[in-house]
Amino acid sequence: MSEKVLRFPVEYFDGGWKKGEAVVDKTSLSFAGVRIPFKDIQDLEKVQYEGKNAIRIKKDNKNYYISFGKTQDQIFRYLAFNLKSDRFAVYFLSPATRGGVVVKDSKWDKGYLCITDEALWFLSSSKQIRISVDSLGSVEKDLRTVGKKQRVVLVITHVENGEVITSFVLCPETTLEMLQNYIQNIIDTYKPKDKLSEVEEQILTMVYTGVDSVGVESILGISTEELNKLYDKLVDMGLARVVKIRKEIELTPRGVALVNDIMKKAAVR
Amino acid sequence: MPKVLIVDDTAFMRKLLRNILFSGGFDIVGEAENGKQAVELYKQLKPDVVTMDIVMPEMNGIEALKEIKKMDPQAKVVMCTAVGQEQMVKTAIKLGAKGYIVKPFQAPKVIEELKKVAGMS
Repeated sequence: MSEKVLRFPVEYFDGGWKKGEAVVDKTSLSFAGVRIPFKDIQDLEKVQYEGKNAIRIKKDNKNYYISFGKTQDQIFRYLAFNLKSDRFAVYFLSPATRGGVVVKDSKWDKGYLCITDEALWFLSSSKQIRISVDSLGSVEKDLRTVGKKQRVVLVITHVENGEVITSFVLCPETTLEMLQNYIQNIIDTYKPKDKLSEVEEQILTMVYTGVDSVGVESILGISTEELNKLYDKLVDMGLARVVKIRKEIELTPRGVALVNDIMKKAAVR
Repeated sequence: MPKVLIVDDTAFMRKLLRNILFSGGFDIVGEAENGKQAVELYKQLKPDVVTMDIVMPEMNGIEALKEIKKMDPQAKVVMCTAVGQEQMVKTAIKLGAKGYIVKPFQAPKVIEELKKVAGMS
C-alpha cells in the first residue's frame, strides 16, 4: 500500500450490489462519487451483508458497504491502521481465552491498542481485531508470565458470538494505568444503572452457560411465571433479548385418552 | 460414563456444573463444598475427574489438589478459576492439575475440556 493512489474493482451496496471502482490514496477512500477521508471514518467492520463479505464503513452516521473481493483483507488492514483513534503502542494477546478455555495457538503480538468512539482495536500487521465498546465486559490488572518474566498486564474481557473472550495487554505501567481507567470509563457508560439481585445474577450466568429455561427453573426452584418476570426485567434492562417463546400445554380429554391407550399398548408388548 | 466429583463452595455453581455435566454424559458421583470434604470424598468415591474450585473455605483447591495427588498421583483434576487467578492456576498445573476452565464458562467448552481430561475425546 505504499503507492500514492491505488485503484480496485469493487462492489458497493446502493439498494443492491453494484460494480464500480474504489480509489485509495494516502488520506481517503473514494468510490461511486463518495469520498471518505480516513479521519472521518467513525467505525469500520468486516461484515456479511446482503450475501457478500464486505467492509462496513461508517461516516457521518451513515454506513457504506463495500466488497473488495480478493484485496479485502489488505484494504481492511490499511483502513484500520488509518482510523482516527487514540493509539497506544502495546504488546497484546488476543484472544487469550474463549468461553473460559485457553486459546492454545494464540500468540503475543507487537502492535497498537486503538480506541475510537465505537470500538477498541488490537492492530498488528497480522491481526486487526475490532471489539465493539458495548461488548466490553471488564478491565483489570493481573500478573502474567510474558517471555519468562512476571509482568503486570491488562486483562480485557469482551463478548463475541455469545462467548466471553479475554485479551491481555502489555505496555509500560503508567500507560497501563491510564488505559485501565480509560477503558473502565467506557465500560461504566454501558453498565446497567440498576443493581441486579442475586437470583438475577444467577440467571444471567446460567443463560450465558447455556442452561435452558427448564434447567434454570429447576436449579433455582422457581416457577415458569416467576422466571418469566425475571426474564422480562433482564430484557427491559437491555441485558438479554427474547429469542423464543416457550409453549406450555395441557392435554385435552382426547389427549388423556390417547395416553391411556399408549400405556395399554406398552403393557401388552 | 466417567464419574465426576464437583468441588465448589457455592451451591449455585455446584448445581450449575451438575446440570452441565449431566447433560454432557457424566455421572456426578459427589459434591463437596470445600477442599477438606473433597479429599474425603475422593477417597471414598474414586471419581475419574474432579472439577476443583480454587478459592474455598477450610481448605482451598490448591491444598486439596496436593492431598488428592498424594493419595492418587494419577488423579485427574480440572481447576475452575475466575479471571485473575492465573498464578494459582500455574501452581495447580505444577502440582499436577490436568486442565482448567475459567468462569464464566459455557457448557460445551466445559464438557469438551472434561471429556479431553477424562480421555473421552
